[in-house]
Amino acid sequence: MWDTLIVTPLTNVLLWIYQIFGGNFGLAIILFTLLIRLVTHPLTAQQIKSSQAMQEMQKSKKWLDIQKKYKDDKEKLAQEQMKLYKELGVNPLGSCLPTVIQIPIIFGLYQSIMLALASSPLQLLTLTRSVYAIFDTPALLPLNSRFLWMNLSQPERIMLPFLGDFGLPLLAIIVALTTYIQSKLTMPPPANPGDQSAMMGRMMGVYMPFLLGYFALTFASGLSIYFIASNVAGIVQYALMGKADWRSLLPAAMKGAAKKK
Amino acid sequence: MKTKFLVLILGALALSLFLSGCATGLTPSSWPGIAVDAETAYAASAAHVYAVSLENGSELWRFPEKADAKKSFFAAPVLTPDGQLIVGGYDHILYSLNPQNGQVNWEFAAGRDRWIGSVLVANDLIYAPNADYTLYALNLKGELQWKFQARQSLWSAPVTDGQRIYLGSLDHKVYALDARSGKSVWEKSLTGAVLSSPLLGSKGQLYVTTFGGDLFSLETTKGTELWKFATPSFIWGQPALNAWKLYFGDADGNFYALDASYGAKNWSVQPNGPILGTPLVVGDLILFGTESGELVAVNTQGKNVWTQTVGGKLYGPPIAGGNLILVAPVENQALLSAFDLTGTQKWAFTPAKK
Repeated sequence: MWDTLIVTPLTNVLLWIYQIFGGNFGLAIILFTLLIRLVTHPLTAQQIKSSQAMQEMQKSKKWLDIQKKYKDDKEKLAQEQMKLYKELGVNPLGSCLPTVIQIPIIFGLYQSIMLALASSPLQLLTLTRSVYAIFDTPALLPLNSRFLWMNLSQPERIMLPFLGDFGLPLLAIIVALTTYIQSKLTMPPPANPGDQSAMMGRMMGVYMPFLLGYFALTFASGLSIYFIASNVAGIVQYALMGKADWRSLLPAAMKGAAKKK
Repeated sequence: MKTKFLVLILGALALSLFLSGCATGLTPSSWPGIAVDAETAYAASAAHVYAVSLENGSELWRFPEKADAKKSFFAAPVLTPDGQLIVGGYDHILYSLNPQNGQVNWEFAAGRDRWIGSVLVANDLIYAPNADYTLYALNLKGELQWKFQARQSLWSAPVTDGQRIYLGSLDHKVYALDARSGKSVWEKSLTGAVLSSPLLGSKGQLYVTTFGGDLFSLETTKGTELWKFATPSFIWGQPALNAWKLYFGDADGNFYALDASYGAKNWSVQPNGPILGTPLVVGDLILFGTESGELVAVNTQGKNVWTQTVGGKLYGPPIAGGNLILVAPVENQALLSAFDLTGTQKWAFTPAKK
């Protein structure tokens, strides 16, 4: 069911892009990622909107009054918060639902990339049976898994003469960096910097770049290409919508100076 | 906000588990490779290379002794005349093992991708095809002598007539190289990836199967096409040649017998399920495995002699070992099953958990 509805169609779209763009699988992954970003744009836009509405609500006098008034009665506080959500028409799950919906797409996309690369006999056999009849399968397969200096079915390392046997994981570094930049640009400053959710937000900002960087270090570099393309597309998407907070990239001291100017 | 971050953390953890599962290979990525000598079968299957007694199917040793998530083996091991067992791993390392006890003699670690195909040992050289598009020629001590670069992965062993070696590649080509220097003599583009080793005939012909579903007969001096036989599906395995007849199967489950001189079809049968492995000819019997898990024996006229249900999926070739026929299915409890020529099972080897 999962394969039929998600993995196989995604794989065939990937193959179609690969075929159109001259058999370059790295380029196919990038274009495929942009396509997915485009398709999921309404979800992203809704996420930003909900996130902002939530943030504005949390800054409102009513919200702050409720927090103060019921700080010792968690149950009552929750009830009053729900009332306020309803009153202002804010969906508390509105900002996380689009993220949840995108998780299966990431899973499916990774499986599609790995399936299309078919770097072992059983994978090639499975791929052969997943390719739609519109393709000339024998001419198309196997895909060219080389892109720039990378083998997309292997973790990426750059071997430099002065580093001896140590391979520099350039893609993993770029993945971690772009993930960090994206999270900094897109995460709105917390309404209450001291509260638990703000702390978790800061944690995620550190945790996610490391986690995705680790994935890039360990797994096929095709996945790293996806992460980088997705991060860069995300940054551009936020910037075009006028939502990217470029000042958040600056250290706190420089931010203060920038404000004064 | 709190809910959102919890969802993100849980999502990230799920993603981490999911990707880890994919990368460590919870499912096998190929089928086992088998080799035999007079007394022992060697089976490369996932985490280990096993040495199994042909007499009773008991385990003699395994390499490595303890499973290592980074190591897995599927290429059929190859014995050298000087008593080494050469086997390549998915960890990019080519190993020389002592066939008596599985101890490592040497390792060749310059390959940059998986060792999916077996090696060819000839002319005091080990010709080792790697998925990094390169054929490495090593001496018997594992020292690199030369290498040859194709344009796609190499998944099968080359063959040799002593002077040249013939190599199939996933780049849809077959290459003829000088056996001593590795210099290209000719190359020929075919109708699809060449997934298995070419087969050399006794009169200077080369038989090559392709993913495009064709069996080609080429002459070996320049690679000129002599004839081509087309099937409706793709062909994975190498054909078997016996008494001027070629036997092979396709992915639609057809099994063919052709005249090896002209490529004319003598007969074809369709037993049950796709046929990917190379057939085995023993006397008047032609044996092959099917994806439906059956080991089929037909005579030279294509008549079914017996069919034995092994279980799992039989993608690899049946191998003759002493008086036994060995098969190694995937998705089956037993790794190795041994049958006599009447189709009676003699033993099955299931690796003990350690």
